[in-house]
Amino acid sequence: MEAKGRNIIAFMCNECGQGAARTAGVARMAYDPAIKIVRVQCSGQVGPIQIMDALSHGADAVAVIGCCFGACHFFNGNFLSMHRIKLMKKLFKEMGYSDQFINHYTARAAEGETAVGDFEDVVERLEKAQKQGGTFQ
Amino acid sequence: MKISIFQFGGCNKCFGQTILLKEMNTKENMDIEWVQEPKQWKSQKIDYAIITGYLTAENKQSILQIVNNAKKTIGFGSCTVSGGVYGLSYQRGTLIKPLRFFSESIMEVPACMAEIEELVETIEKGQSSKKQALCSVCTRKSTCSFLSEVVRQIDISQDETSCFNDLGFMCNGYVAKECKERCVAHGAPCRGCKPSVDRSGMRMLGMFGTLMGNIEVATEATGKGGTDKLADRDDDVTKSVPDVTGNFFRFTLADGLLPVGRIKSTGSVLSDVFTGRLIEELPLISGLIGGYKSVELTLDIIQAYETAAGISVSEKTKQLRSELIKTEQKIKEALKTKNIEEYKKAESNIRRIAGNMNLSNVFFGGFKTPVKGHENFEEYKYSIFEIAPGQYSGKHVKYTINEIGQVVSFEINPDFIKMEGL
Repeated sequence: MEAKGRNIIAFMCNECGQGAARTAGVARMAYDPAIKIVRVQCSGQVGPIQIMDALSHGADAVAVIGCCFGACHFFNGNFLSMHRIKLMKKLFKEMGYSDQFINHYTARAAEGETAVGDFEDVVERLEKAQKQGGTFQ
Repeated sequence: MKISIFQFGGCNKCFGQTILLKEMNTKENMDIEWVQEPKQWKSQKIDYAIITGYLTAENKQSILQIVNNAKKTIGFGSCTVSGGVYGLSYQRGTLIKPLRFFSESIMEVPACMAEIEELVETIEKGQSSKKQALCSVCTRKSTCSFLSEVVRQIDISQDETSCFNDLGFMCNGYVAKECKERCVAHGAPCRGCKPSVDRSGMRMLGMFGTLMGNIEVATEATGKGGTDKLADRDDDVTKSVPDVTGNFFRFTLADGLLPVGRIKSTGSVLSDVFTGRLIEELPLISGLIGGYKSVELTLDIIQAYETAAGISVSEKTKQLRSELIKTEQKIKEALKTKNIEEYKKAESNIRRIAGNMNLSNVFFGGFKTPVKGHENFEEYKYSIFEIAPGQYSGKHVKYTINEIGQVVSFEINPDFIKMEGL
């Protein structure tokens, strides 16, 4: 499944998120070219401002990928970022748009397939939302 | 100095407030003209154009005509600057636009109700003086600690020193500037009509998402090999904030950050503004939106609910409410006759009883804070009420609320809307 000409921004935390992507790279796992990774120190750094910046500058969907719950390398950044994304999803639904453009995932650094699985899921969700006529722009 | 003041859509609260411009101490003499129908305005060169009310794409011609004839243009009030409370109808497809979308070379004086002192400063100095953050002048102090729950109604007299947000009572004061109306001093949480940062709604949404850090939600891993997709779940976090749009974007929804909403319109801008909001927030919205009929509209909404839900109201409360209605009549008369003294007297009486011109002190069952000159507060104190779903009708309004207290339909008598000033 390839999302041609689309841009998906994946904010990945430097620990488990990026770690999983690195493991996937070592194992030569392929993922969609629409995915553009932005490495952040912690997924807790990503909030509505960064997500809206991405969406208003041409991203079709955004994924925030952090560590597994209870395993944040700082304190609980992944948990806080999930709360914010939940509120944003609700805002999008209230405005009549699909909430599938903004997604939150967790990944495991030792398992590259978790990162690739997240990428596949976000592409799938974007396609589905676009088919339903729910594009953001 | 020739100044023309224009009223576009919405209530005439800010437009009426400009009556005070005449008697403000200014360096130059002001020759002021009030234009209630900008379409019919005969073009002439002016020094300052002051625009009030919300703007839509249909107003483009009139606005460009005004901007091209004026040396300087000032947007006065939240509606003109960022869509204001009427901008909530943007959720249902009304294309409300801020003034800067029509012309970039403008000055802005936000707030609901906009402050006349700031307008004078903007005219004289070209910009208003920098105001402090609301939190730095608020009597309540914040610790920014994580919340375990969010509450929708609180008894404010129980704790008068803790920040509303610390109590779990959502307040947008973190992203607001010091203001004259100061809703927080009258038991109403700030909704950020005077933002201190850009994209204030989004920033506050992020901040509140963080504050909710102690709310327990499911975090167990889902599915084998895959990763957690827990953000899709409806849990205590999303249930705590049933109306994200109304709480974080009450004045900034139409400022261009979000695309126009796709929810089906109810057919009237006013109904669109109220539909989807929460029952305890209705008086706070109608207090803003009613202009010089705000008291009548607010009390009608409140009384409709009180009567049907069996909320008892004391004689003292009734007496204070009828005094408010009489004072509102006086404001209307003062505006018609351009009687500044009477206007000021009536305004200060409304501020004395209702706290501010947004009626923050008025609530279901009574008043939130003591009214000066009326000692026994317990006699007219508001009550925390249970949400009772159902249909409620008053003299001018008819609305239905669901089991979580969210308005699902809202109708206002069209004759009431047609009356001047709404």
